[in-house]
Amino acid sequence: MAVIWPKLIFIFGILSLFHAGYSAAQHRTYMRVTEQEFISLPTDIVVQGLLSLVLTMYGILHIAGDFKEIRANVQLQNKSWENVGNRPMFYTFAHRGRALSPNYVAPQSKNSLDGMESIAS
Amino acid sequence: MYYLSSRRQIEAKMATLDLDWEEVRDTLRTWREDNTRHSEEVVDMWYYCLRHYKHKLGDERWMVEEQVVIAGLDCNRLDVAEPCLVSLNEQFPGSLRIRKLKGMRLEALERFDEAMDVYDGIIRQDETNSSVRKRKVAVLKGQGRYADAIKELTEYLKKFMSDTEGWQELCDLYLKEGDYSKAAFCMEELILSNPHYHLFYTKYAEIKYTQGGLENYELARSYFCQAAKLNPGNLRALYGLYLSCSQVASSPKCTTQKKKETLRLEAWALKEITEKYSKCRDVDGSKIVETFRSLSVTDKA
Repeated sequence: MAVIWPKLIFIFGILSLFHAGYSAAQHRTYMRVTEQEFISLPTDIVVQGLLSLVLTMYGILHIAGDFKEIRANVQLQNKSWENVGNRPMFYTFAHRGRALSPNYVAPQSKNSLDGMESIAS
Repeated sequence: MYYLSSRRQIEAKMATLDLDWEEVRDTLRTWREDNTRHSEEVVDMWYYCLRHYKHKLGDERWMVEEQVVIAGLDCNRLDVAEPCLVSLNEQFPGSLRIRKLKGMRLEALERFDEAMDVYDGIIRQDETNSSVRKRKVAVLKGQGRYADAIKELTEYLKKFMSDTEGWQELCDLYLKEGDYSKAAFCMEELILSNPHYHLFYTKYAEIKYTQGGLENYELARSYFCQAAKLNPGNLRALYGLYLSCSQVASSPKCTTQKKKETLRLEAWALKEITEKYSKCRDVDGSKIVETFRSLSVTDKA
């Protein structure tokens, strides 16, 4: 429900803004037709224009969604140490976590030196 | 042990809650975007749930399958990875990205030379393919040939200088070799690339702290300070700040004025840590803080 109101305000504001513009154009044509000199717009059109501008701005600010934090480091504050150290492009698959897999077959070392190597890597 | 328990949990969860496939899809998407390594969970979620809904995924299916292939290889669950790889291969025949996945499968089978041939073939076809070049480094790393991996990676970084992931990996490789000054250089490079990132400062300071010596401790202290300033919630930086302060203050070369300031900073760090723990309800902070106090090298008399 909270989202509906700003939208309504925005639609109302933009329509009213168009209306104000149209009235201003109408006023000028009327002035030209009656051969009077154009000095300034009538107050009601000016007030309507300004008010509807404010309404439209209010509406669109609420529709556009949440603001981003202006400080550059805020977005980075939620990153954890683990995620920074995680580099998918450099994954190696020959790690000890393999042994936890259900279909892991322990390597058959041919001699003791082979065993040494597999421990070292 | 963890694997078994998490698997049982997920199985139970699937059975009792009848986990919604859309929920699972969204979880996988966040993991993909946040770049987190949840390989076991990804495999289980695919195997017990999403596998049966893959036709509903639309175009996202291929992204998910790629994710599952990598996760499956990571857990040595080739029975899960291979069907996905086959269906990806049918969908995109001749794609270099799929060929890279095939190379990764060979790596998981420890057929490193064949994997290397696959990668070299891709590079011949597309010289700008940076991810395959990185895989070549990973092959060397997987074989435990760290020195060769470092050489390969420095060659790579000469061509792709702005690759932060590469610099981070190089830093870790140097740390594995115990070459702290070069690792610190990599971190400096990373700090330059993103000066607002508190974790880079923390890591740099940690490397400097590990190197030791009064100058390095002082440098570590100021970098920990900067990290704590950028993110006041960075407990690791506060802890590091506390330790490096106590190291600086206990050094015999430290002047009295400097010592006083350092001790004040140390007290402040300890106060911040105490406050953080007092806010946590699940953990008994008093014991942790007590341990921290006893860690200090300076005498409290």
